[in-house]
Amino acid sequence: MLQALREIEGGIQLSLNVAARLPRLRRAPILDQFLRQIYFTGVTAAGGVIPRACGLGVIIIAVMMDMLDADVDLAVKILLLMVFREIGPLAAALVVILRTGTAVSAEVAMMRVTGQTRALRYLGIDLYDYIVLPRVVGCMLATLALTFYVQFIAVAGGLILSPYIIEASFWELTNRLFDLFRPVDFFYSTIKALLFGFAIAACCCWHGLNPPDLTNNAVPKVVTKAVTQSMMLVLLINAVFAYLVFGVLFFGLVKANV
Amino acid sequence: MTELAVRYRRKTARHEVQVSAPKGAVTHVHLPDDDAKAHFVTALLKVHCEPGEELELFGEPAVSAAPKKREKLRHRVGAVSPIVGLMSNLNAWENISLPAAYHGTPPLPEVAQMASDVLTSLGAEPKYFFARLPDELGLLDRKMAAFVRLLVAAPELLVFDALEDGLSFGECRQVARFEAEYRTRQPSGTVVYVDTKEES
Repeated sequence: MLQALREIEGGIQLSLNVAARLPRLRRAPILDQFLRQIYFTGVTAAGGVIPRACGLGVIIIAVMMDMLDADVDLAVKILLLMVFREIGPLAAALVVILRTGTAVSAEVAMMRVTGQTRALRYLGIDLYDYIVLPRVVGCMLATLALTFYVQFIAVAGGLILSPYIIEASFWELTNRLFDLFRPVDFFYSTIKALLFGFAIAACCCWHGLNPPDLTNNAVPKVVTKAVTQSMMLVLLINAVFAYLVFGVLFFGLVKANV
Repeated sequence: MTELAVRYRRKTARHEVQVSAPKGAVTHVHLPDDDAKAHFVTALLKVHCEPGEELELFGEPAVSAAPKKREKLRHRVGAVSPIVGLMSNLNAWENISLPAAYHGTPPLPEVAQMASDVLTSLGAEPKYFFARLPDELGLLDRKMAAFVRLLVAAPELLVFDALEDGLSFGECRQVARFEAEYRTRQPSGTVVYVDTKEES
């Protein structure tokens, strides 16, 4: 219980520190770390992992449409409500956790274990500035970019694939999609993607900076804990956010009484 | 009376350590074991005393120094020590320029010029050296990179912690030139060599 409270307190402190230090992102070495983070999370992930995540999205749509015997309206609703709002940000978050979350937590834990964080302190370099801030902000923006990739490719894939499964043309589906699309869908997924990126990076940095001990054995423990908690945080944010914005939980299975 | 850059005292059940280093002089400190050495170097770098320790830096007692004063004192001290290693994910140039780039002073072209000059005079090829990651460098090269990084910060008190540990005879002759390089840039600086050898 105490450990959990300590982790929550640490997470809040870390978040406030990041927010207060945003202007320091202009400093050369911090900007360099930030760009590296963007490159690692947003650019290198785009090549191999994103098409697979998108493929998965397209398969889900195809199976659901076939099972539910969908018409144009239902097909577009599946694309918009499930793929655009939910699967896009969640698939991007999953990719970020698996690629960046593991890398960040292991790298920071290794820096801690090998005394590099201590060396930074002796050089007068603040750990929040140099380690946490660029990783958190970089991860937020990269998660947002990945979300846009996934949303665009999965929705486009769904629109192209659907005419082979249901009796509707590509243009019919596209027109209906634009009819049903509301700006809130875009803002909802954008804010959610930013929150996912923030939660993942903050959680991984916090665990990396606070390993259970200062031996090499601590590194895999840190990675396991960071990845598990990041996943739980993402699911929690997803549920709470859906409830706050649309008054629904678990894809509409639970509805708010407000 | 001689002005002291460092006055340090630590009393434990096993031994008592006392160090005094006059300002501007070169002092060799031989401590009884690695633990005593680590405590001494850490106290200097942190400007902080643990229970049983006393430390005065440039006449200021560390124990009563306000946080801002302590921060200022910290900037006047530097160490070439395994405690202050290089960042493993940055190459030698990024390591050398990191504190200057972070603090915004001195300008990076000045740092590059100084680093090239020092490395050349120590017998290293700067272009080859700068591009290497710490893991690709030998022990002597890593100590050189840490020393050049420190020269950029221009500390008034320079601590060489077990400088010759793990080096061959030829390499020891190369690191012996570190002090002269420091003196060229910081004529009134204080140098403290620390190791755990028994006093003869």
